Amino acid sequence: MSDRVPFTFDGVSLEGRYGESLAAALMGAGYTDFRQTRTGHARSIFCGMGVCQDCLVNVDGKPNQRACMTKLEKSVSVESEIFGRPLPAVAEGQPFKLIDDVPEESPEVLVIGAGPGGLSAAIAARRSGARVVVADERPAPGGQYFKQVLVDGRDVAPPDRQHLEGRRLIETALKLGVEIRNNMDVWGAFGPNDLVATEAGFIRRFSPQRLVVATGAYERGVPVPGWTLPGVMTTGAAQTLWRSYRRLPGARILIAGNGPLNMQVASELKDGGAEIAGVVELAEMPLLKSISALSRMAAAAPRLVRDGLRYRSRLSDVPIVYGSAITRIAPSENGLTVQVSSYPDAGKTGTRTFEVDTVCLGYGFQPSNEILRALGCEHVFDSQRGQFVAVLDDKCRTSVENVYSLGDCTGLGGARVALSNGRIAGWAVAEDLGHAPPPSNELDQERRNLSRHQRFQAALWELYAAPRPKIDLASPDTIVCRCEEVTVSQIQDVLKSENPSIGDLKRATRAGMGSCQGRYCGPILSELVAASKGQPPDDSVRFAPRMPVKPVCIADIARIAKP
Amino acid sequence: MTGPTGTEPTVAHPDLPEIGILIIGGGIVGSCLAGFLAKEGLDVAVVDSGWAGGTTANAGSLHVQMQSIFLQRFPHLVHRLEASLGLYKSAAAYWSDFQKELGADCEVKVNGGLMIAENQEQLDFLAKKAKREAELGLEVDVLDRASLDRIAPYLGPAVIGAELCAHEGKVNPLLANKAIRAWGKTHGAVRLAEERVLQLTADKAGFRATTARGQIKAGKVVLAAGYESMALAAQLGVHVPTRADPLHMNITEGTAPFITHLVQHANRPITLKQLGSGQAVIGGGWPAELGAPGRIPVVKLSSMVGNLSLAQHIIPQLSPLRVIRTWAGINTGVDGCGVIGAAPSVSGLYFAIPGDAGYTLGPLTARLAADCIQGRAPGEDISSCDPDRFTAI
Ligand SMILES: Cc1cc2nc3c(=O)[nH]c(=O)nc-3n(C[C@H](O)[C@H](O)[C@H](O)COP(=O)(O)OP(=O)(O)OC[C@H]3O[C@@H](n4cnc5c(N)ncnc54)[C@H](O)[C@@H]3O)c2cc1C
Ligand code: FES
Repeated sequence: MSDRVPFTFDGVSLEGRYGESLAAALMGAGYTDFRQTRTGHARSIFCGMGVCQDCLVNVDGKPNQRACMTKLEKSVSVESEIFGRPLPAVAEGQPFKLIDDVPEESPEVLVIGAGPGGLSAAIAARRSGARVVVADERPAPGGQYFKQVLVDGRDVAPPDRQHLEGRRLIETALKLGVEIRNNMDVWGAFGPNDLVATEAGFIRRFSPQRLVVATGAYERGVPVPGWTLPGVMTTGAAQTLWRSYRRLPGARILIAGNGPLNMQVASELKDGGAEIAGVVELAEMPLLKSISALSRMAAAAPRLVRDGLRYRSRLSDVPIVYGSAITRIAPSENGLTVQVSSYPDAGKTGTRTFEVDTVCLGYGFQPSNEILRALGCEHVFDSQRGQFVAVLDDKCRTSVENVYSLGDCTGLGGARVALSNGRIAGWAVAEDLGHAPPPSNELDQERRNLSRHQRFQAALWELYAAPRPKIDLASPDTIVCRCEEVTVSQIQDVLKSENPSIGDLKRATRAGMGSCQGRYCGPILSELVAASKGQPPDDSVRFAPRMPVKPVCIADIARIAKP
Repeated sequence: MTGPTGTEPTVAHPDLPEIGILIIGGGIVGSCLAGFLAKEGLDVAVVDSGWAGGTTANAGSLHVQMQSIFLQRFPHLVHRLEASLGLYKSAAAYWSDFQKELGADCEVKVNGGLMIAENQEQLDFLAKKAKREAELGLEVDVLDRASLDRIAPYLGPAVIGAELCAHEGKVNPLLANKAIRAWGKTHGAVRLAEERVLQLTADKAGFRATTARGQIKAGKVVLAAGYESMALAAQLGVHVPTRADPLHMNITEGTAPFITHLVQHANRPITLKQLGSGQAVIGGGWPAELGAPGRIPVVKLSSMVGNLSLAQHIIPQLSPLRVIRTWAGINTGVDGCGVIGAAPSVSGLYFAIPGDAGYTLGPLTARLAADCIQGRAPGEDISSCDPDRFTAI
C-alpha cells in the first residue's frame, strides 16, 4: 500500500501520509485555519486529543468531524467547517429502534482507556484468567504516554525508546488475548454494568461484570489573551503531532506553562528540526532548595532524572524563562507576537517579547473523570493542584461497587504510577471475579514500585511548585469558554450581580454549554463560584455530570450493527 | 418553638423575616407571578430550592393541540384536557404580548406545530383529533404529503401526513428565564434562591414558612411549586394531587436553521424543534428517573436511544448532527388541567400550578393567579382549574 494519500482541502489538492490524522496532514501542508466559529473567528487544532472540538472539519459532506481524531486512510474531500453551514440532504433515516434492539456484550472486565494504566490493568487481569475488553477512542492503543508512530515512509524518524516500551506493552496485551477495540468511544455510563459506545459508526453496549476506568487526563485551560488563535495549541497536541505523525507544529515555537512535559516536548521538537524560541516556566529556577527534591527523585527513579537532564542539556542554547508566564498572544505579520512577564508579580523582571509561528501551552492536567462522576464515584478537591481526585482504596476500587479506576483520570500520577496501579487493579479485579490471586511477593514488589514512583512524582511536583493562574492572565475581553465564546467580563458580571450557582452561571452566560462540554472553562468556573460563595470547591460547584461524555452523532446512536 | 427537625430552635429568617405575599416555587409561574404582583406595588417574595426554579429544565415548546402521548397515557382524562384547550390557545398567544412586557427578545416564534403520521391509521387518528379540536375552537388542518412538502420539506419519507396546529410555536427558555428574572427584579420582587421550604403552617395571624435559614412570616402564600405543591398543601390539610413526570431531553450542536415547526408524532413520544442558536432540542415524553429527593433526576439510556432514533427516522437530515448534552427535568401533571386560584378551606392560600405543558401556560397562569389574589375577575374562563375540585384528604 502506498504510504501517501491524496485529499483535498477547500478544493485544493493535497497529499498526506497514510494513517496520519487529518489535522497532521493539514498542518503538514501548511494549513492552520480549520474552522470558523459563530462569530467568524478562525480556530485550529488546540488539544490534539479529541477533547476541545476546535479542529472540526467537514469530511465528504459529514459535518463537525474532529480533524485530530480522523485518520487519513483514503482520498477524502475536506472542507473547513463554518458554524451554521446547512446540513447535507439525507434521503432516508435508519429504522426506528429501541435500546433492546442493541445487542449487549458482556466481558468479565471492560477497561476504558488503552493508555499505560488501562493496558497494564488489562494485562494483569488477563494473566490471572479474566476475559478482558479494552475500549479506546483513538485509532491505536498507547494513550498519551505510549502513543505510537502511526505513519510510514522514508522521511519518518524511527520510534524511540518510549515508543518501543509502549509497543511491547501493546504486543503483550494482544498476545495474551486482551481484546483491544480501537475507535471505540465510550460516551455513556448509565451504571457500572450499563455502558454505551460508538464504534466506527455503530452503537455498542457493554454489561461487564467489572469496570476499570483509565481514561487519562487532558490539559488544563489557562485563559490568556490570544489563546484561541490558530497557532496556539497545548503542549500535548504538539507532542502528538510529532510523536505519532512526525509532523512539526511549526517552525519557530515558544512553549509555556508549568511542569516537566514542556521541557521534554521542547527537546523532542528541537530534535525533530523545529527552532525553539524559548521555554517559559511558571516555577522559579530550581536552586539549592530543590536539591533535596532532586536527590529524592534520583533515588526513586534514576532513569527518569537522567532523561530530564538530557532534555535540559539539549536545550542548552534555548532561553528558559523561569518564574514567568505568557501574558498576551497577538497575531503579527509572520505569525504571533508573544508577551512574557514574570508571574505572579508582573513587574519583577520586566516584559519580553517573542516572535514565533507557534505557541504551546502546557499548564498541567485535569483528570478525565466524566465517566467516574456519571457513575457517582466519590471525589475530593485537591486545592494545591486545583482538581478533583477520585477517592480510591489501595486496590484502586472507587466508592461505587464493581468500579475500579487508576491512572491520570483519578488525579495526576504519571505513566509509571499508572503502570504500577494498573497491575494492582488488574489483579484485584481478577481476584474479585474469582480468578487466582497474584503471588504475594509480586504484589508486594509492585506496591514497593508504586510508592517509589509516587515519591518521585511528589518530589517532581515540589520542584515545579508554582502559583496556579486561573483567570489572572486574562483581560476582561479574553474568552474563558472557548466553545460559546464567553468572556471573562461576562462571567464576572453575573458572578458579581447574582451570586449564582455554577448551573445558573452556565444558563446565564452559556459558558460550558458548547461541544467540549465545559472541559476547559468548567474547572475555572468551579473555583470562581466557590470563591464567590466563600467555600472550598466541592461537588456543588461543578457542572452536573451530563451524558454523553463526548458529543455523539445521532446517526451513530441509531445505527445498529448486524450481529 | 422548635425547627422543622424538632430539635433546633427556629429563628426569624435573616434576610426575609416577614413579607406580604410569599410565593413558594420560582419556576416560570412563580417568577412571572412575583413580577406581576410586584409591578402592582405589592410586597412580594419568591423562594426556590434551586436558583431559578424547576421548569428551567424545560424545552420551550409552545404546545396547544392535544398531545398524543397524553391521550394514550390518560384516556380517562381526555375530557379534562379538552376543558383547558381554550386556555392553551390563549396562553401560547399571550407569550408574544408577554415578551413585549419583558422588553426582551426571547425568540418567541409561532410558526405552527406539526404532529406527523407514518401510516394511514395514525393519519385517521389525527383527522379525528383535529375535528374535535376544531369544534373546541382551535385552528387545525390535516395535511397530506404533497402539502407537507410545501411547508415542511425537511420531513423524511417515513412521514405520510400531519396535523398542523397554527397556534403552536416555541420560545427560548434560557433567554426568557433570564428576562423574567430581570423584569421581576426591576419591579422589586424579592428572590430567595437555593432555599427549600421545609415546613409550612397557618394560623389566624397568617403563614409561617420555615427554611434551613429561618422562619418567614407571610400574610398570603401562593403555592407555585409544581409537583411539590402537593406535599406543601398537605401540610395545611389541603389536597391537590400533583404528579411528578421526570422527562428526558437531548440537545444537539448548532447548525443552519431548517426545522421551522414544533414537530410531534401521532403515536410516539417526541417533540422536536430548533432554537435560534441552531441547536435542535429533542424530547417529548421519554421518561427519566426521579432520583433521590432534592437531587437532579437522571437520564435513561433507553430514552436517549429511543428518542434520538425516532428523531432521525422522521427527520433524516438530523442524522449527522451530534448530541452534546442530555438532561432530565420534572414536569408536573394534575388531571389535564391546572390549579389556579384561592384554596377552598385555608384563607390566604392560593395555587398557581399550570397544566401539563407548564411553560406554555406559565405566564398566563401567573397573570390569572394575580387576578385571583387581587380579587379581580380573571380575563379567562378558569373554571376547569378550580382548586376546589379535589376531594379533601
Ligand atoms: C497531552 C499529554 C502529553 C503527555 N506527554 C507526556 C510525556 O511526554 N512524558 C511523560 O512522562 N508523561 C506525559 N504525559 C503524562 C502521561 O502520558 C500520563 O501520565 C500517562 O499516559 C497516564 O496513563 P493513563 O493510562 O492514565 O492515561 P492515558 O495514557 O491518557 O490513556 C487514556 C486513554 O483513554 C482513552 N479514553 C479516554 N476517554 C475515553 C472514552 N470515553 N472512551 C474510550 N476511550 C477513552 C484515551 O483515548 C486514551 O487513549 C502526557 C499527558 C498528556 C495528557
Ligand atoms: S484539536 Fe481536535 S478536538 Fe481538540
